[in-house]
Amino acid sequence: MVGPGRRKSIAFFISLGAGLILVIILLYVGWVLLNWRTGILLFLGVVIVATVIAGIVLNTIFLVHEIRRNEQHDAFINAVTHELKTPVASIRLYIETLQTRAVDEEKRKEFYGIMLADSDRLLGMIEQILRTGRLGSASRKPNLAPLNLSEVVGECVERAAVQHKAPTGAIEYQPGGVLPIRADYDEVRAAVSNLIDNAVKYSGSEMKIEVESGERMGKFAEVRVRDHGAGIPQSELKRIFKRFYRITGPHATRVKGTGLGLYIVRSVAKRHSGRAWAESAGPGKGSTFVVQFPIAR
Amino acid sequence: MKHRLLVVEDEQHLAEGLRFNLEAEGYEVQVVDTGEAALERLIVQGEKFQGEKFDAVVLDVMLPGKDGFAVISEMRQAGQFVPTLMLTARGRSGDILQGFEAGADDYLTKPFDLKILIARIEGLLRRREWLRASEEKAKVEVPETKNSFTFGDKSVHYDLLELRVGDKVFPLTLMEMNVLRYLIEHEGKPVSRKTMLEEVWGLNEDTDTRAIDNFIVRLRRYIEADPAKPKHLRTVRGVGYRLVAFPAEA
Repeated sequence: MVGPGRRKSIAFFISLGAGLILVIILLYVGWVLLNWRTGILLFLGVVIVATVIAGIVLNTIFLVHEIRRNEQHDAFINAVTHELKTPVASIRLYIETLQTRAVDEEKRKEFYGIMLADSDRLLGMIEQILRTGRLGSASRKPNLAPLNLSEVVGECVERAAVQHKAPTGAIEYQPGGVLPIRADYDEVRAAVSNLIDNAVKYSGSEMKIEVESGERMGKFAEVRVRDHGAGIPQSELKRIFKRFYRITGPHATRVKGTGLGLYIVRSVAKRHSGRAWAESAGPGKGSTFVVQFPIAR
Repeated sequence: MKHRLLVVEDEQHLAEGLRFNLEAEGYEVQVVDTGEAALERLIVQGEKFQGEKFDAVVLDVMLPGKDGFAVISEMRQAGQFVPTLMLTARGRSGDILQGFEAGADDYLTKPFDLKILIARIEGLLRRREWLRASEEKAKVEVPETKNSFTFGDKSVHYDLLELRVGDKVFPLTLMEMNVLRYLIEHEGKPVSRKTMLEEVWGLNEDTDTRAIDNFIVRLRRYIEADPAKPKHLRTVRGVGYRLVAFPAEA
């Protein structure tokens, strides 16, 4: 989490840097106007000052980049800590409750259900982190096998509907026939599931998600996941696929996440010579996520 | 009469588990899942929650929207001093200190031991009862006892969690009082920041000792006539702070 104080101090130093560069340029232009006769020295001076300014600009860009990375890293650590500890805390609370209190049979069953759901959530988070590590390592090649993408997407939709207790019709799937691809089953499943889970998370209380699979230009097998939820500003459409990146702003902070999901989606697509992108008409207008894999003939 | 607790927790499973256990302990429990909803119940109190009172609050930190630190901070600024225990997955020393700085009375990290949680809530409620009993006694005049310390026109009342300066009464959080009490107990002697962190909060990890400075800044605002030129809460360069109860007039 980034405090407003820290943001203010960053903005101050960036403005200070920009102001100083402007002063240097103004001073130099003034000096040149006053001493235009000293030709060669003038030329050398221009080159040196331009180099110094370029250096300062590059340095500032680098610093801003590093500061952003650190902030994202901190936010990621906080989010992962929360995502790992919360289900453990819940499971522990229910175990202690069952150990120390008289609980009737119905409640007991309910508590077991909650503990199972929490252990699934914990496992999901651990798998997400381990998968990110594997995708980042060049030596771990995907385990390619012939798959029907439509079928894999169908499985993901079914799993998501059960896991998120989606009402009938809240997640609709339109399969586009047999879509043969050569891909790693676990990775494709993880990518598609991440897209559907995201759509659920950002849909808010009114869940209405449309999932489609189909062929594009005879070359790609495609999955589209459309929601009618939070939407994405135009400027963020590419950034959201970066590792640890999360959109800031009043609406986005209402949804918890680690910033790994979409990174996994794009990494999986790239590892299979495919691609992934997002489309949105803007905040509040829903979004569509698309992932494509080459068709295997 | 049943004590009323407000649990602010957005994780539904945890919230329901807490409700089940706290109700089994005999408390009346209300659960809200956002910081905004908590503030509505505790500060704004529109028509719907008019006159609603809670004896203690269990507050999660990582809430959607306004987080727990912002909530406790707004509560204290608005004069809502209901005893509050922060419950969170973030257990680094810096996080714990941030909670205390914002005005928490106690802090427990997830995963927690159920018995410890209940004992801490009981502790908060007990202190509140003591506070009420002391207030009853102190209605006419606050006597000088071992539970208070007077210097000049200022008096510190440990049980009441109050600092009185002339006619003004400043309510202190438990942690502010603990810092002040520690300095009073070592009156006249320099006390290092590290020692205060260890002795007052029991934190002996590699914590940023400057966290203590924020507490001193707040205490100076209450105690000093000119906080920029402190006479009582003096900085000892390279060490920490020293409380001088009766400074020699310059």
